[in-house]
Amino acid sequence: MTQGSHFGSHIPGEDLTLHALQALTAEESAAVQAHVAECELCRAELAAATGDLALVALSAEQQPLPTGARDRFLVRIAEDAKQEEAQPRIAKVIPINRASVGRVSVWAPRVAVAALLIIAAGLSVEIMHLDMRLRRETAVLRSLAEKNAKAQAVVEALTAPSAQRVLLTSIKTPPSPSGRAVYLPSTGALVFQGNNLASLPADKTYELWVIPANGSAPIPAGLFRPDATGNASVVLPDLPKGVPAKAFGVTVEKASGSDTPTAPILLAGAAPAAGE
Amino acid sequence: MSEIPFNPIEASNRSLHEDGDEARLAGSTGTSDQLLMERIRSNDQMAMAEVFDRYGGLVYSVALRVLKEPDQAEDVMQDIFFQLWKGTGSYREGRGSLGAWLAVVARNRAIDSLRRKKPTDSVEDVVLPAKTDLASESERNLMIEKVRVVMKGLTPEQQSLVELAFFEGMSHSEIAAKTGDALGTVKTRIRTALMTLRKGVQG
Repeated sequence: MTQGSHFGSHIPGEDLTLHALQALTAEESAAVQAHVAECELCRAELAAATGDLALVALSAEQQPLPTGARDRFLVRIAEDAKQEEAQPRIAKVIPINRASVGRVSVWAPRVAVAALLIIAAGLSVEIMHLDMRLRRETAVLRSLAEKNAKAQAVVEALTAPSAQRVLLTSIKTPPSPSGRAVYLPSTGALVFQGNNLASLPADKTYELWVIPANGSAPIPAGLFRPDATGNASVVLPDLPKGVPAKAFGVTVEKASGSDTPTAPILLAGAAPAAGE
Repeated sequence: MSEIPFNPIEASNRSLHEDGDEARLAGSTGTSDQLLMERIRSNDQMAMAEVFDRYGGLVYSVALRVLKEPDQAEDVMQDIFFQLWKGTGSYREGRGSLGAWLAVVARNRAIDSLRRKKPTDSVEDVVLPAKTDLASESERNLMIEKVRVVMKGLTPEQQSLVELAFFEGMSHSEIAAKTGDALGTVKTRIRTALMTLRKGVQG
């Protein structure tokens, strides 16, 4: 580059042309740029030189674009636009008043921690309440489901055509105690209703028995005590399924019940065959 | 660098719309470059396609003239327009016509590619003359024809210098070594050739 031109005066036009052509060294170009930034005249001259280069560029023979070049470019910008849309938007940065930050900076962390602790405690209580509520609701649902199943079994035992229906009466004089058993062998469902039953000492209880048709040992079918009017009932005692009954009987047993019936049998009734 | 309020091309040879009324320009050449650039900044792909259609041939032709390899020339062209799309180091209004800016950037990028070096100049460093409207295809063709006529009027020596300096990217010292002329002589002749071109187009 022309010596002595940095840059008390101006950069020679030749050097500006070379700069526009990128024909100067990096150091020389830097010097030109530094000068042009401050010198309006040289800036204008450099612009003119660049304009000359634009004219030279126009002298290039015009060539058709390669096949598919346009499509390739459009695909490229379309993909770029898609990526731009896919990127999460960055929240706008809001300038913070530094003075305010200085005043609150000491307390801000503590306040934040305290707030978090309060929120956490509140959430814990809320969770505990929700858990308790859930447990209660679950228990109610379970109870309702059990009651519903029991009611269904009662209805089925009372209405099933295959249920064995037996009327048990006192052998001796009236008012004779009696009992009615409805039994569904396939499910083991049994409903017994007793009437005119004598009251018992505290250490005694009535016990209902199922006498299996297959001759096996009597099966205890529930303990019961009559109410003030002599009525009592046994509903769905725990019985095995699929045991047809030959008969039913009621005995008086010790208060805790017995595994085998104790004579005498107070009430007894033979069961007809199923479906009879 | 700031805007250069200088136009090497006389008013009589400028665009008919070189009066700053971009809306009028849109009436004869479609959407003005300025409006297209505004839409591109809003990620309008259609606007970008329109700019590509308008100047893709010019940019590719300049790059191909320098590189002589279609694939490389297309790479340069694609990168320039993609930069325009991304707005990085991008063209800014008030620094001259978009077409002239793209033509110079195409040459510089092609030279960089020829030298197998990273682009040394930010495209923003390209100082443009004031508006030289190339948006209109008819006016662009008119300007191209005029430049060719003037270029043919240069002496063979001047034509050779322009070719070596502009399209082959040789430094003045390389040209001096090649021609055997003094450095100062080379610089002066290059300058003279370009001034002749400028005056020829203005005239």
